Amino acid sequence: MAGRRAPGLSGLPASALSAAYTNHGTNLRENHLNSLKTQLSVFQQLLHQFSITHGKEIRKNPQFRAEFARMCNAIGVDPLASSHRKEGSSKTSGGSVWAQMLGESVNDFYFGLAVRIVQVCRSTRAENGGMIPVEEVRTRVQKGRGELGGEIEVSEDDIKRAVESLEPLGSGFTILMLGSVPMIRSVPRELNIDQSTVLEAIQVLGYVTISMLRINLNWEKARALAVMDDLVAESLVWVDTQGDEKEYWTPTIIRDV
Amino acid sequence: MAQAAPQTGALEPPSTATPFQFPGYYSFPPFFTAQPNLVTRAAQHQKWSLLIQAYCRHNRIFVLSLIDALNSPLFHNAALNRRLSLNDAREVLNWMASEPGGNRAEWIGGTGKAKTGAEKVWVYWRRPEEWASVLEGWVDGTGQKGSVLTLWELVEGEATASQEFHGMDMDLLQKSLQVLVKRGKAQIFGQEDSLGVKFF
Repeated sequence: MAGRRAPGLSGLPASALSAAYTNHGTNLRENHLNSLKTQLSVFQQLLHQFSITHGKEIRKNPQFRAEFARMCNAIGVDPLASSHRKEGSSKTSGGSVWAQMLGESVNDFYFGLAVRIVQVCRSTRAENGGMIPVEEVRTRVQKGRGELGGEIEVSEDDIKRAVESLEPLGSGFTILMLGSVPMIRSVPRELNIDQSTVLEAIQVLGYVTISMLRINLNWEKARALAVMDDLVAESLVWVDTQGDEKEYWTPTIIRDV
Repeated sequence: MAQAAPQTGALEPPSTATPFQFPGYYSFPPFFTAQPNLVTRAAQHQKWSLLIQAYCRHNRIFVLSLIDALNSPLFHNAALNRRLSLNDAREVLNWMASEPGGNRAEWIGGTGKAKTGAEKVWVYWRRPEEWASVLEGWVDGTGQKGSVLTLWELVEGEATASQEFHGMDMDLLQKSLQVLVKRGKAQIFGQEDSLGVKFF
């Protein structure tokens, strides 16, 4: 069949020409992809090496850990989300690769931390109504870890990250700002505006009384009483009846020895 | 947190050198008011129980006299000008004596029904069966199995000065030894005020 064709460029069928272009394009793309793949694998290897060399520091030094997490964020990978996805059915997502790469030590760290946070929130729920400052959790967790041997410093940033890692579980654990203080709320409940206002005032003043609320917020006595009764009923505040006027305190300064 | 409270009570430590370190919640004014919310109050009882046990352990108090304790730093925070009332203190101790409270207290001569405040209570920072193990361990460790000891030398003798049970209330000692007697690990004999015990 080919023998019948005359020699020369024009003799080449148009399809062959475009096939050559396509071929070339594919080659280019493949080269490009290959070089990207190489770059990525080099990068992954370096990162893997980095996490091995610095694994201890990542687990130990909160500042280092925060920087590491920031780096992960910058490249658009969430080292925590990875461990959750891995347990799910879609294990082909890039996340699990990440977890494997890091030897899961970082994931384990935050997972272990989350467990300790849940324990602290549970054990203090009766006394604080399920609202506890992040800073207090941090202190307690750090102390608890000390008992188990292996003093590990934990930062507020770590606590927040660990709490966020609980969200996919539908645990109801959230971090919210009360005034300027970050709190962990372990009971699914919304505070109304009056309640938040009062809790913020207690944070600033230490405690409040009905007359303080009436003077500072211009509230009717009935309104102030209703809010305080609600807060007492939800075990968010404690009362002290031994002063001149009934005082309402938040139990945030209750600490074990 | 050094306690600068005036030395009022009859419960002052006889010998301990370091002052008791009160926990943070001791400086929390509402801690001294019985909380109206029952969930909160349960948490409060728990905290009081821990404090009472730690305080008694530190000061080697085995029997608490309610009326004396009310004026001691344990129930009276002079710096805050806050105190636990007789009724609230009794409620805490009742809770400690109950099953949910871990049987960490026992009223001497029955439940605290007398409303005078004169009632006394054993504070079990160690329960009698725990004391039994401690005593047994000490006898074992000092190679005194088979020998006879008087009850007096067990709790007052020089040999036990460094032990936790040194200075223990005699009745509590007997209660604890009875645990060992029941297990066939000890035998008590002798007269009222010159009791001896033999460990096996």
